[in-house]
Amino acid sequence: MTAPLLVCRGLTMRFGGLTALDALDLDVLPGEILGLIGPNGSGKTTFFNVVTGVYAATAGSAVFAGADLTRLTAQAIYRAGITRTFQRSRLALPLSIFDNLMIGNHRRLDHGLAFNLFRRVALKAQYESAVDEARTLLATFSVPLATRLFEPASAVTMIDRRRIEICRALISRPKLLLLDEPSAGMTHEETRELMDDILLVRGRMPGLGIILIEHEMNVIERVTDRCAVFNYGKRIAAGTYAEVAADRDVQQAYLGQE
Amino acid sequence: MGALRWGVGSVATVAVYAALFLYAEAQSVVIGLLVGAVVAMVMASRFDVLARVGESFARHERALDRLTFAACIAVAALFHDQHFVLLMLATVLLYFVACIGLNLQFGHTGVVNFAGAAFFGVGAYAAAVLSQHTPVPHLAIIVIAGAVAAVIGSVLIIPVLRTRGHYAAMVTIAFGVLFKTFLEVNDTLGGPQGLKLPGMSVFGIPFNANIALSDDAEISFYMHYVVLALLLAAGAYSLSRRIERSWIGLNLDAVRLDETACATFGIDVARWKIVAYTIGNALCGIAGAVYAMMTGFIAPNNFTFGDSLIMVSIILLGGVGNPRGVMIAAAVVLLLPEKLQMIQEYRFLLYAVLVMAVLLFRPEGLLPRRLRAYFPGGTS
Amino acid sequence: MDIGLAGQYVLNGLMLGIIYAMVAVGFTLFFGVLDIIKFSHGDVLTVGAFTALAAYAGVTALGLQSPWLILGVIALAAIAGTAVLGALIARFLIMPMRGAPPINVLLLTLMLGTALRESVRLFYPNGSNPKMFPRLLPGGAANFGRFTLRYDSVLIFVAGVAVIVGVSLLINRSKLGLAIRAVAQDAETARVMGIDLEAVVLFTFALGSALAALAGVMNGMYYSEINFNMGLLLGLIGFSAAIIGGLGNIYGAILGGFLFAALQTIGAVLLPVSSAYKDVFAFAAVIVLMAWRPTGLIAEKSSERV
Ligand SMILES: Nc1ncnc2c1ncn2[C@@H]1O[C@H](COP(=O)(O)OP(=O)(O)O)[C@@H](O)[C@H]1O
Ligand SMILES: [Mg+2]
Repeated sequence: MTAPLLVCRGLTMRFGGLTALDALDLDVLPGEILGLIGPNGSGKTTFFNVVTGVYAATAGSAVFAGADLTRLTAQAIYRAGITRTFQRSRLALPLSIFDNLMIGNHRRLDHGLAFNLFRRVALKAQYESAVDEARTLLATFSVPLATRLFEPASAVTMIDRRRIEICRALISRPKLLLLDEPSAGMTHEETRELMDDILLVRGRMPGLGIILIEHEMNVIERVTDRCAVFNYGKRIAAGTYAEVAADRDVQQAYLGQE
Repeated sequence: MGALRWGVGSVATVAVYAALFLYAEAQSVVIGLLVGAVVAMVMASRFDVLARVGESFARHERALDRLTFAACIAVAALFHDQHFVLLMLATVLLYFVACIGLNLQFGHTGVVNFAGAAFFGVGAYAAAVLSQHTPVPHLAIIVIAGAVAAVIGSVLIIPVLRTRGHYAAMVTIAFGVLFKTFLEVNDTLGGPQGLKLPGMSVFGIPFNANIALSDDAEISFYMHYVVLALLLAAGAYSLSRRIERSWIGLNLDAVRLDETACATFGIDVARWKIVAYTIGNALCGIAGAVYAMMTGFIAPNNFTFGDSLIMVSIILLGGVGNPRGVMIAAAVVLLLPEKLQMIQEYRFLLYAVLVMAVLLFRPEGLLPRRLRAYFPGGTS
Repeated sequence: MDIGLAGQYVLNGLMLGIIYAMVAVGFTLFFGVLDIIKFSHGDVLTVGAFTALAAYAGVTALGLQSPWLILGVIALAAIAGTAVLGALIARFLIMPMRGAPPINVLLLTLMLGTALRESVRLFYPNGSNPKMFPRLLPGGAANFGRFTLRYDSVLIFVAGVAVIVGVSLLINRSKLGLAIRAVAQDAETARVMGIDLEAVVLFTFALGSALAALAGVMNGMYYSEINFNMGLLLGLIGFSAAIIGGLGNIYGAILGGFLFAALQTIGAVLLPVSSAYKDVFAFAAVIVLMAWRPTGLIAEKSSERV
């Protein structure tokens, strides 16, 4: 039995009177894809925001690689190896696709003032290998997109923007990847392709854990190893898709909503 | 596309035009030249000339940068015996240096600074005090003045970092007003009357003496300042380009566009704001110090909120984030009222209306910035 | 310090406070409905004061005698003129900028302020010089030792308080105020619920501008003088006051206005040798306050949703 990648205990987030995460316990294992499901407003995105340091948790802990994430800054959490995509795309639209990927690659680039201003030859070497890497990664998701590396991110379709966002999160080779509804707005066929691409990349990064927020149950069934179900900020069930789907609380939560 | 001749042609045209404009005395001629420029710009964009020029600059940047530098020297040489023209040229170049600084802050990093003229003034007053009361060499004074502006800026950075958008704007505006009020009531700094400064002297060369060419030909002493300002402008330009075309430039853009997203990718928002703010204010201070020693006299009225707004206007008109646009805008904004007497009185109104029009109809500025090319033209 | 002198300071501080509060409430109203900073607000105040002055020239030329009548007419002229100006600014400059980065709106209104200020300087007859503002309120004063209570000051103060109370009643009690608060809460939802967003925005801008005009007239009567530059400093002070109070909150703005006046007064008392430093002191204090409480004493609406 391998040690979990992420261990959350009693994780709580309150906004004024509203409890968006309510004493949440959750483990993520290395190399697994964990599906996160639950009705709208059940706290899934908030969970990502707390784990990535966007919001400071009200209580509880989230231990990753020996450190409690609730005490770290967003920057330190990224350096520890957690990256994410956003539910509402947050690319730097006026910048090139390459620039967007390099924002995600921050951890592996040299940001010293002297290096950047005066060692242009060394910078160029770093730049060129980054271009190769960016092109290769992007080509996994879409070959035509990889040829448009130096076009503005605003010039491509919504679906390509989602792909760029996923690549931005992947390029720094994280240990844990958080995907917030990556297939929103895609057709079944596109979703399928996207998931296959994600699986392909994961194959190249052994040990990469992924948490996937997704509403399509057949996608969850197909790609996840385990799932956790949220309702009103609580984890009401966890286990394989089959186990979870058979759970009475889960059925009630979904029936109650629809 | 991207042929060198388009770039060369445009630099030459602008240089000749600038010379004619500076030479023109009669108001009718000046107006004629202005109308000509507007017509030429409209035609140029109609017939795709602007796009080709832009392409050419992107491809042959290095060569064209050098040509631009040479063209500046040529224009200055043409007016080598005219004090006033050289003074104006040096002023434009110094404002360019300051605006490059503000552009790093606002255009790249998104940190607003409505106290540009105040930081320029900090440099000017630092230079005045140092040159009057200490034997510090004048080149060192310029550096110290930049450092003083940066240090004073770093006090302001605390509230600026903790706040966003309008709050940061308020802090810098308050500082600008505070600075001018402080100067006006502080008698040791000359109060409203201001301070006098000696001319510069570098390596034993007195900057305030004309250079005799022959018995009856002289080069105006302002040429010293033009050369110094041109060197500073080239340095600021190159610094700004190097910053833009490196991971630092990328970090600054990322901070401007989305602080939350870039923090989740490890970008230290505070660090890059401090870097941009410090470099920018230092450039303002340096420019102010040279300006003070050049004019030999400074007063609180040179560093008002209105002057800060003029600097912001230069950046917005030129094209936010685009140093070449800033250069052209600095020249137009500063020279126009000097040459066209009838608008001198109306210049604040005119620029305010122009900037409003740009913000409403072309918010990326007249010469918008291009996508980042880390190593343009394939050379480093 | 002598009680009388202290009283004088307090009275002066209260006078300034009420004027600042009126300006600050405008900033807060605009921020509430559109989430923008309208930096031209101070210069709208200048326009209001000069409109009143022009109206004064007009009515005296018509031979109107009664000071109360004159006062009413010029105040109405100032209110009407600036309300229209405010609505026009909202309709043609600010509404089209919806969706643009907030900083662009700030820049636009900063430039608009310059344009208004310069227009007053250039186009009002002899506009670059300070102008006498007519004394229309009854003169006279009561003396208590070194403490002089000018009757006109009392009237101005009472009028200011009445206006502020009126505005907060309007916002909190009337149907229109409910619409304004709904838009401030969430413009999209308000629109879905059938509120005419544009009408509410225009009305809010007219209201805020009219308040500024009144503040300008009161300022003119208090100092008996106005000039084209007055709005720059008053606008900046109103902006500071709205921010230290907490943007979007009317009571915060009022509190901020009095707080700023208090800071100036304290500055003048602490630095008696040269009370000219009082503004330096007040603005330095504001900067320190901002570093301590970045979103003001009463915090701004909510955190950013990600
Ligand atoms: N910044 C915030 N301020 C206040 N409430 C918030 C904030 N972010 C999320 N919430 C609330 O927390 C709850 C959970 O939201 P969210 O995590 O986005 O749900 P999900 O992603 O599962 O749809 C919702 O009721 C939402 O309104
Ligand atoms: Mg969500």
